[in-house]
Amino acid sequence: MPATATGVFHRSYASELRLRHTRAEKARLVLVALLVLTLPFLVSPYWLTIVNQIGIAIVGAIGLNILVGYTGQISLGQGGFLAVGAYSSAILHLRGDLPVPVSIALAVLTTAVIGALFGIPALRLKGLYLAIATLASQEIILFTVRTWDAVTGGTDAISLPRLEMAGFVFRKDFHWYWIIAGFAVLAVITGRNLFRTGLGRSFMAVRDQDIAASAMGIDVTKTKVLAFAISSAYAGLAGALTAHYTGIVTWERFTLDVSVLYLAIIIVGGLGSIAGSVYGAVFMITLPALITRFGQDLQSAWSEAAAKVPAVQVIVFGLVIVLFLIFEPRGLNRIWQRMKDYIRFWPFRY
Amino acid sequence: MKHRMRTTLALAAAAGLTLTACGGPDAGTGGEDGGPIAIGVLSDLSGATADVGTPYSEGIRGYVDWLNANGGIDGRDLELKLNDYAYDVARAEQLYSQYVNEDVVAIQGWGTADTEALRQKVAQDELPFMSASYAETLVDPEETPYNFVVATTYSDQMRVALDWISEDAGGESEVAVFHHDSPFGESPVADGKKHIDEKDLDLGYKSYAMPSGATDYVAQLGRAKSQGAEYVVIQNVSSPAAVVAKNIAQQNLDMKIVCLNWCSDELFIKLAGDAADGHVMVQPFAPPNSGASGLEDAAQHLESEGGSLEQKGLHYTQGWYTMHVMAEGIRHLVENGTEVTGPNLKQALEEMGPVDTGGVTQPVEFSAESHKGVDGTGIYEVSDGEMTELAAEATP
Amino acid sequence: MTEFFQLTLFGLSNGAILALAALGFVLIYKATSVINFAQGHFLLIGAYVFYAAMLVFGFHWSLAILIGVAVAIALGVLVERFILRPMIGEDAIAVIMVTIGLSSVLGGGVQFFFGTSPKQTPQFLPSGSLDIAGATIPYSRLAAIAIAAVVLTAFTLFFTRSRHGIAMRAVADDQQASLTIGISVRRVFALAWALAAVTAVIGGILLADLTGVSANLAGFGLVVFPVVILGGLDSVPGTIVGGVIIGLLVQYSAGYIGNGFEQVVPFIVLIAILMVRPYGLFGQTRIERV
Repeated sequence: MPATATGVFHRSYASELRLRHTRAEKARLVLVALLVLTLPFLVSPYWLTIVNQIGIAIVGAIGLNILVGYTGQISLGQGGFLAVGAYSSAILHLRGDLPVPVSIALAVLTTAVIGALFGIPALRLKGLYLAIATLASQEIILFTVRTWDAVTGGTDAISLPRLEMAGFVFRKDFHWYWIIAGFAVLAVITGRNLFRTGLGRSFMAVRDQDIAASAMGIDVTKTKVLAFAISSAYAGLAGALTAHYTGIVTWERFTLDVSVLYLAIIIVGGLGSIAGSVYGAVFMITLPALITRFGQDLQSAWSEAAAKVPAVQVIVFGLVIVLFLIFEPRGLNRIWQRMKDYIRFWPFRY
Repeated sequence: MKHRMRTTLALAAAAGLTLTACGGPDAGTGGEDGGPIAIGVLSDLSGATADVGTPYSEGIRGYVDWLNANGGIDGRDLELKLNDYAYDVARAEQLYSQYVNEDVVAIQGWGTADTEALRQKVAQDELPFMSASYAETLVDPEETPYNFVVATTYSDQMRVALDWISEDAGGESEVAVFHHDSPFGESPVADGKKHIDEKDLDLGYKSYAMPSGATDYVAQLGRAKSQGAEYVVIQNVSSPAAVVAKNIAQQNLDMKIVCLNWCSDELFIKLAGDAADGHVMVQPFAPPNSGASGLEDAAQHLESEGGSLEQKGLHYTQGWYTMHVMAEGIRHLVENGTEVTGPNLKQALEEMGPVDTGGVTQPVEFSAESHKGVDGTGIYEVSDGEMTELAAEATP
Repeated sequence: MTEFFQLTLFGLSNGAILALAALGFVLIYKATSVINFAQGHFLLIGAYVFYAAMLVFGFHWSLAILIGVAVAIALGVLVERFILRPMIGEDAIAVIMVTIGLSSVLGGGVQFFFGTSPKQTPQFLPSGSLDIAGATIPYSRLAAIAIAAVVLTAFTLFFTRSRHGIAMRAVADDQQASLTIGISVRRVFALAWALAAVTAVIGGILLADLTGVSANLAGFGLVVFPVVILGGLDSVPGTIVGGVIIGLLVQYSAGYIGNGFEQVVPFIVLIAILMVRPYGLFGQTRIERV
């Protein structure tokens, strides 16, 4: 990620560190805020379910992007960390009789600690070797969840009561939207600001050249473990939200497929970009829903071959990802940047 | 230039997809008088369980096509909203929400994943839910008021299997339970142990998890052998169960497999080949060769479409009759002039008395105290590649 | 003792199949530095093409294998030309994602033509089993060990003796230097993908013979990750050692511990070994300079 966009010039560090540089960006902020506030009134309950799933995916994807995109540590273990968040919040709430906000907060902490623990191999391993070590952490976490009957209830699903706070029961997607949107916005703000701090900058230094970073006085060990902890904290939050939102916790929701999906979200959205995590989550969660609709249309148009429709849907899903990445390997965020540059310099090419 | 071209193409692709989305789900047609009655179906047609999920889903669709072609329910058609969720919980939730939006009156689910994920939601939205997940945790209306279990529960199947083993062995024996490492697989394991203690059966009992994706189960069979197991009860799908059968044959082990319903099918026989002979199957749904009168409609319907029941297998009938039970509940409402809604359908299913399935299963009957449709199940033995009936109505 | 011997034999035969399946990863990574997540789906396609050639079109099994190999070569070359070549020079992780998308396309394609119901290929490996010192091992397993041994030896020789093999190693070492001495990097890439697809066909046919032809075969692609990493991503002998170690570990932990532990033991051992040898047992250590 370039630190600043082309065509925008700074005279002081303070101005460079500012979150928003142009008037257009301020206008966009207002538009986004308006959209977040009005969205649940505009869409049907069906799309609201998808919007809520997107919101949770945004939180998890920002976490993964901090680790993979900003710190350069490829992880295939996101599903495992989501599971830790979901199970710890559910267990703390049910067995520990803690109120939901406390159990979610503790779940975030627990996941951060466990994430740091599984981040230890990152001190020795790099690249794909690390990816497989995190795959191992995913398998180990899910195995523990399945077999540790006394704590997790084994393979049976944990059922959670509807969230109730101050006498109000959060029953509908509409109610949950405000909680999820709140956390998603919080995740975006904290994510953006993390990379204006020294710690965030040291993450990027480790990603770009870890040996040079350590020569500059950055404690690479500490930085990597912290990146794992912070990233897992976001995953823990996303997991805990999933648990309370859906009211049911089962390990089948956190398989390797989910880890791969999250990786897909940040790659399609744009590595090393908070905005990209948001775009990616929107794209990858909406895509199956769109393909389902495409399948319905296909079925009515081509009813004699209805049996082939599911296969066609699978092919289309893969094809969209492949074509997308062939056209723009750096993701949706890059497309957005280029569009902005194009408009900013118009009528000049650059 | 090249870059701009790329952007345009990517945007065009995105725009194309968004256009498909703009249609939005159709307006509902659920409970109004005279119109079709909408039912949401979650099917696995491309996911991990698509091998059996496809014929099951075709059975549901086949039944509804057949019913509508024969005048529907007192002139009212059933309208299926059927989509593939690829055994992905998040997709199931999306589709469920879409169905609720489309005013369906009931949901036909499929596996453990969607049934577990939705059991709270269906209770909250008051939508009766049937699926092919027969866990005993779903039959208590206090816990899961809107789940209906149409077939013999996994736990009852296990009890029947253990009773049969005890009888077949003529007393003392050792049983090894091989199960899928999941809620589905573990569901009957503890209840089986309890059953042995309660009925004081002289059976040893140990369970072994079957890791998915294994090419052999020789190590597990070795452990079962040192346990002294003479019977292997399998709670898993056909492909791995067939591998166990082949391993037993290759290792010349003297063990008899007792399959619970998900490996008791034609697929097991086809995949295991000669190694399938002599093994036993606990299957609540009558296989195509059983000659049960209830199979005729399905067979004729398939023949009119150029297929055959033998080719589709017993999972087709399973889907057909699961849908039949739900349709009978709706018929009860329509004939009494009651509005077709979720809560009314629940009440109808609980109060209308037994549903006859023409001998495919025992008559299915629910009550306000129990949502367990049937107690008994058939027991079959594989001989010469066919399922031969050992007992028609074994009850625990 | 008998049990130990039994487990060892099965562990070795599983290890041989794992090594064979893992070989495809190594071939592609060695030449092109790409991790191919669609390798499992190459196995799937191999098995289904073999099944179709044999049962649908009624060819003899030897001819069916040749058809499978031909289709695999075509598939490998096409995938390289149209999907991977545009991605040259892009971030490794974006390339991984493309192969994940590709796996979805291939899996959907198989479902489109063959449906979802598992198929049974007629056994062509010898049936019956051999008793050695109280342990029983089917001939098909022994045949699998033999086939894997032949293929792996052939590839080891290919890389050390043949012109193309040495060219592939040169490209893996330094693409620009290879170009300057007249090696066609494009041809080497295409060759790597074609060869990987061919090994997948052989692996797929062996697996199909043991477990039946179904979409589950694709899952085997993920099972071999630990094998590849353990042996070292770019080492052919590494896959053999990695395959045998993982194969034995799985069998021993299934036989002596049970309760599903066989699913995690390989991963725990994997992490432990990687902590000592971060580039796998035989992987090339990269020396980094700033």
